Amino acid sequence: MRLFIVILCMTLSLFASDLTLEIVKDVGNLPKIAIEVSPESIEGKIGQKFFKLLLGDLKVTSHFDTISSSIEYAKILDPIDYAKYKDVAYLLRYKLFYDDFGDLEAKAVVYDIKTSEPLFQKLYRLRDKKRYPFIAHKIVYDLNEALHFPDVAFLKSFVIFAKYIAPKRSDIVLSDYTLTYQKTIVHGGLNIFPKWADKEQRSFYYTDMQGRPTLYRVDIYKGVRTKILSGDGMLVCSDVSADGSRLLLTMAPDDQPDIYEYNLHTHTLRRVTRYPGIDVNGNYIEDGSRVVFVSDRLGNPTIFAKRIDSDAVERIVYHGKNNSALNSFDHYIVYSSRESDNAFGPNTFNLYLTSTTSDYIRRLTANGVNIFPRFSSDGETVLFIKEFQRQTALGVIRLKYNKSYLFPLYTGKIQSIDW
Amino acid sequence: MINKKNLWFGLFVAAFLITGCAKKSVEIEAPQGHAPTQEQASEVNEGSGIKSVGEMSEESMTQEEKLRQMKMIESQAKKIYFDFDKYNIRPDQMPRVEYDAQLFNKPEAKPFGIKVEGNCDEWGTDEYNYALGLKRAKSVRDALEAKGVDPKRMSIISYGESNPVCTEHTKECWAKNRRVEFELIP
Repeated sequence: MRLFIVILCMTLSLFASDLTLEIVKDVGNLPKIAIEVSPESIEGKIGQKFFKLLLGDLKVTSHFDTISSSIEYAKILDPIDYAKYKDVAYLLRYKLFYDDFGDLEAKAVVYDIKTSEPLFQKLYRLRDKKRYPFIAHKIVYDLNEALHFPDVAFLKSFVIFAKYIAPKRSDIVLSDYTLTYQKTIVHGGLNIFPKWADKEQRSFYYTDMQGRPTLYRVDIYKGVRTKILSGDGMLVCSDVSADGSRLLLTMAPDDQPDIYEYNLHTHTLRRVTRYPGIDVNGNYIEDGSRVVFVSDRLGNPTIFAKRIDSDAVERIVYHGKNNSALNSFDHYIVYSSRESDNAFGPNTFNLYLTSTTSDYIRRLTANGVNIFPRFSSDGETVLFIKEFQRQTALGVIRLKYNKSYLFPLYTGKIQSIDW
Repeated sequence: MINKKNLWFGLFVAAFLITGCAKKSVEIEAPQGHAPTQEQASEVNEGSGIKSVGEMSEESMTQEEKLRQMKMIESQAKKIYFDFDKYNIRPDQMPRVEYDAQLFNKPEAKPFGIKVEGNCDEWGTDEYNYALGLKRAKSVRDALEAKGVDPKRMSIISYGESNPVCTEHTKECWAKNRRVEFELIP
C-alpha cells in the first residue's frame, strides 16, 4: 500500500510538471485581496489607469482573488472596516501623488486583515511620470514576493514590438507587458521583427528594410545601433541562443527563404535547412542542438524539428490547415493553428501548446484570431495578441494555473512582438 | 639632481592631483534636499535611460524625390495577383506578366533596375507572410527572366503585409493585397 502511494505521488508530480496537460479543476481557494485608494491620491487618467493596472496585475499573478472592481477610498492609516472584509485575507492601500519636486510617488501598504498588521509597506518614486505602469507592476511584484508566492518577474519585463504606422513604415516600440507604457525606440522606414538579444533586456535585434534588409543590434541604454549583417530578399532574427552567442536567422541569399545559424563570435553563417519552398521561424529547443521551425514542405505551413547538424527532419504537429507561427521554451512549443477549411471564417487561429518530449497537445484559446504567441523568460506564461469581432486584445495565459486574461489594445496593427 | 625616473613620477603625481579621480556618474532620480519621508523610497528603474535610434525619415523623403522620375514607367506596369497562401502564378495572370516583360524591355526602361516586390494580405502571421511574399516575387522574377528580361536588372524583396493597397476587411480587398508590383531603381 505504501509503495502504491509513493508511486501514485511520483506519477502525479510527473504529470504536474508537464505544462501540456490541462488542469481541469482548481484545488483550494485563492486568498482574497481588496484595494483601497487614498482620497489624497491623484485622480484623472493616470489615477484611473493605475488602479486598473494594479487590479489587472493582481489577477494575472493567479495568486489572488481580487474583490475590488471599482475604486473605494480610505486613507492609509484609517482603521480597517472588518465587517466589510470578513472573508478577505489582504487589504492593499495606496496613495499615488506628486512630491514637492514634481516626481511621481506611490506609497503602498498591505495589511493582513486577520491581524491588522501591515505585511508590507513601501514608497516608490520616479521622475518620468509616463513610466507609472512600472510602479503598479513593481508593487504587485513586491507584494507577491513578500508573501513568498511563486515568482512573477514577468510583470516587470519589457515587451518590444513593431507596429505599422503607414504602408512600408513601422516603428519599434518598447513597452511594459500590458503595452500601457510605450516608447518609440526606432522610427523612420520599415523596421520589423524586433527580438531581445539578452535575458537582461538591454539590447535587441531588428531588421531595417530600407534598401537591402539589414539586421541591427540596438543597445537601448546607450542608444547605439550596430550592424550585424545584411542580405537580399529577407532577413529576420528568429531566435537567440541561451548564451546570446548564436542567432537563428531566416535568410534568402539565393532568393530562397531558409534557416541559417549565425555565430556572433566567429562571424560565420551555417545553413540549417535546405528546402526549395518556405522554411522560416527557427527556434532553438531543448539544449540548443535542435531547432523547431515552420515549413510548407507538405503543402501547408506546419511545424517540424531537426538537429542543427543533421539533415533528418521530424514533423511535430499533425493537425491544422495552417500552423504558421511558433515560439519555443526548452522542449515546449506554442503555435497558432487554423483548423477550419474556410480561411476567412470565424474561429480562425487558435493557440496550442505541445512538447517534444510528450504526445500531448493542449489547446490554449477557444475563439478569434490568436497570433504572436511568445513565452515569458521562465516559460510559465504566454503572451499573445487576440483579434475577435474587430477588437484587438493583449492576452496573457498562465500555463500552470490554466488561466487566461485579456486586456484591450489600442496600439494599431502590430507587425511582430517579443517578450 | 633629479633623475629621469623621479621626474616622471613627479609629473604623474602632479597630473593625478590636478585631474583627480574620474567622477562616477550616478543617476539619482531624487534631488538632494528632498522632503524627508518615513520610509526609504525604492527607485523604479525599469524604462529609465532608454534612448531612441536616430531619425531617418528626412533621408527616405529625399530618396523618394529621386525616384519620382521613374514613376511613369512604374505606373504602366501591371500588378500580378495570387491566390490565398499560394505563390505560383495563375494562368490568368500570365498575359500581365508578358505585358510587364515587354514594358521593361523597352529602350526607355532598360537603363533602370527593377525591384520586384512581393506582398501579402493581412492573414498569416510573422515570418511566414514575409517568406510568402518573397516566393511570390521570385515566381514573377523567374517568369520575367523567361520572357527575356535581363536577370541582372532584377532584385526581389518581400514587404509581407506591410504594404496594403486596400485596408477594408473583405475578401475582395485581401485579394488586391496578394500581389507582386514593381519599383524601378536607378
